Amino acid sequence: MTTILLGPQRFQTTATTVLRSLGTDGPVATINSGWEEREDVVDELDAALDGRAVHLRLHHRMLDVLAKDHAFASAALAFRDRHDDLLALYRLRLHHALDGVYAVQRRVWSTPGFGVGFGAVDDGIEGVRSVDRWYLRALRDLYGDFAAHSPIDGSGVIGWHRGEIEAILAHAAALVMPGGHVGTLLRTLRLFALRIPDSLPVIAWSAGAMALTERVVLFHDHGPEGASESEVFDAGLGRVRGIVVLPHARRRLRLEDRARCAILARRFTEQHCVLLDDGTTVRLRADGSLPAGARILGVDGIVHEVRPR
Amino acid sequence: MSASGRQGQPAGGRRAPGRLAINRLRERGPLDPETIDRFLARHGAPIVEGERATFLFRGEADEVFVRHRVVGLPDPLPLRRIGDSDLWAGTTDLPTGSRVEYQLETRHGERYHRFNDPLNPRVANSPMGSSSVCAAVGYQVPEWVHHDPEARPGDLVEEVVRSKALRRDQPVHLYLPARFSRAARYPLLVVHDGTDYLGYTAMKTVLDNLIHRLDTAPMIVAFVPPRDRLKEYPNHAPHARFVARELLPLLTDRFPLQDNPAGRTLMGSSFGGIAALSTAVRYPGLFGSLFLQSASLVFTDIGTDHGGGPFFDPVVRFVNRYRARPSAPVDRIFMTCGTYEPLITPNRSMVPVFRATGMTVKYTESRDGHNWENWRDQLRDGLSWLHPGPQLFVYE
Repeated sequence: MTTILLGPQRFQTTATTVLRSLGTDGPVATINSGWEEREDVVDELDAALDGRAVHLRLHHRMLDVLAKDHAFASAALAFRDRHDDLLALYRLRLHHALDGVYAVQRRVWSTPGFGVGFGAVDDGIEGVRSVDRWYLRALRDLYGDFAAHSPIDGSGVIGWHRGEIEAILAHAAALVMPGGHVGTLLRTLRLFALRIPDSLPVIAWSAGAMALTERVVLFHDHGPEGASESEVFDAGLGRVRGIVVLPHARRRLRLEDRARCAILARRFTEQHCVLLDDGTTVRLRADGSLPAGARILGVDGIVHEVRPR
Repeated sequence: MSASGRQGQPAGGRRAPGRLAINRLRERGPLDPETIDRFLARHGAPIVEGERATFLFRGEADEVFVRHRVVGLPDPLPLRRIGDSDLWAGTTDLPTGSRVEYQLETRHGERYHRFNDPLNPRVANSPMGSSSVCAAVGYQVPEWVHHDPEARPGDLVEEVVRSKALRRDQPVHLYLPARFSRAARYPLLVVHDGTDYLGYTAMKTVLDNLIHRLDTAPMIVAFVPPRDRLKEYPNHAPHARFVARELLPLLTDRFPLQDNPAGRTLMGSSFGGIAALSTAVRYPGLFGSLFLQSASLVFTDIGTDHGGGPFFDPVVRFVNRYRARPSAPVDRIFMTCGTYEPLITPNRSMVPVFRATGMTVKYTESRDGHNWENWRDQLRDGLSWLHPGPQLFVYE
């Protein structure tokens, strides 16, 4: 299985070289539904992919479904409302849980010897993980309700699009997934039940890389209203395992704030938090693990490189 | 505290010298008109040096004053004639990040004349007229206030709503964001003094820019002007009924709104802030958030002598009643106030009262006064906190 995760391509385009390095011929399928209404503005992407791109146009297809399948459109809107409610409750719980962890961490870190051995920070982080797990469970239940009550699999228009997408993927030599709005990207992947064959090489960056993972984590420390807490958003495709992807890490994270980074890394301690900055190329090993040199956020809050085996 | 729009240096990068420019000029001895011309051409007016501002006037008068409404500075602030010349000057504190609106006043015998500073081209407009603006080191007009050709503009349409509650036709300007789609759901913001917000805070441009930059969620905004502001805004039942029982159902029916309290925000400044709060109090749970800018939250702890004049009587009665039995009509409040305005103490005092009810309150202050440009400068922080844009979701 070939999977290559790249840094953002806006200022440093490496996708062309990486695609050529695969040594494949034939069409390259692309999923850029995260670009939303700009999905068809693909001149630069076409050029970067040597003119081999065949665009799956999942956002366009989703709009087509919404326009033609009124039962689905209505159910999808209702689902969005329920998901928004859930997200609001999740954020409330998450912020309070994290505030507690930061307060304990400040006290422990500022007073040498204070609280040693009590495990207060670890226990606090476990509380945050518990909130994350609760959210994902509730979201899974929401999806379950949606699937049980809405006619996705019976929808003719959805089925027709799924068939077309499958046919394009069957003839593709590679799949490219650029960035964009990760929520929209995930929604389209889910709607069209996209399955990427293991044998199909994948090159992805930014939101595209996030969507390949098991768990999509949103983050932005420099939003207009100051630090926003990192939050779990949804499950991704799960092709990339054991990794939380952090694109634009230098731009979006306060990497100099070691205490904050330490909590982020410890919160997702079962995964590696991988930094995907400009120029980064992470070619996963055959077993899906990270290659030597990949930059990860350590539980000490410092950026480390994966050591050679 | 927020420092929105107050980063960086003003044009020219003024720095604090050892001695003030006006003192260096004064020490030269007798001043001829050409020397003064050169001085004014070089420095402009007012002269901001470090945390000091020197106001200037050139002309004949018996007395010259700076008139302003900055709490803490003497008003009127007298200027003094420089030697025997026709140049007048007065220096005052101006902390970093400050922005002050003022006028000059001259006295000729018994006659007083007030006007904008003729040496200062920078003015701010409001429904009361214009004023000169003195910006300290560190204040900068936020770049998102200006037209951005890359920001796709939303639509602004004027409509008239027949109101039984107000017994009249009520004009409303409706803002629909760029790329408006019926397949989406939008939060609703109802803005009191809507015409003034559009005119004096460039709020349509601000919305276009903030939505384009993903700072703020695309939203539908109803800009509602008052007819008799002093009657309708301080806790007026017909006004609240119009907003809650007429305007909101009408818009919910016509547009794809987020149909829950979290998606509905009331906003207003000064008396408009009281209109927003009192409407929420009359219809608890209907709206999820308030955006209050320099709200006229005047109250008394004993007696009725609030010092605001008769127009404030219904405000004080309302705020006193609220303080006696505080409630949580919404979940979240974003409050801003200028530290140089008389309402700073009531606003600061109300923050713990609001918080004690369980509402989440974000309160920011700016070194500015009770004016529209101050309220404009706080729009990004407020709107992005209340209805954040999709920045968290976008990874290009």
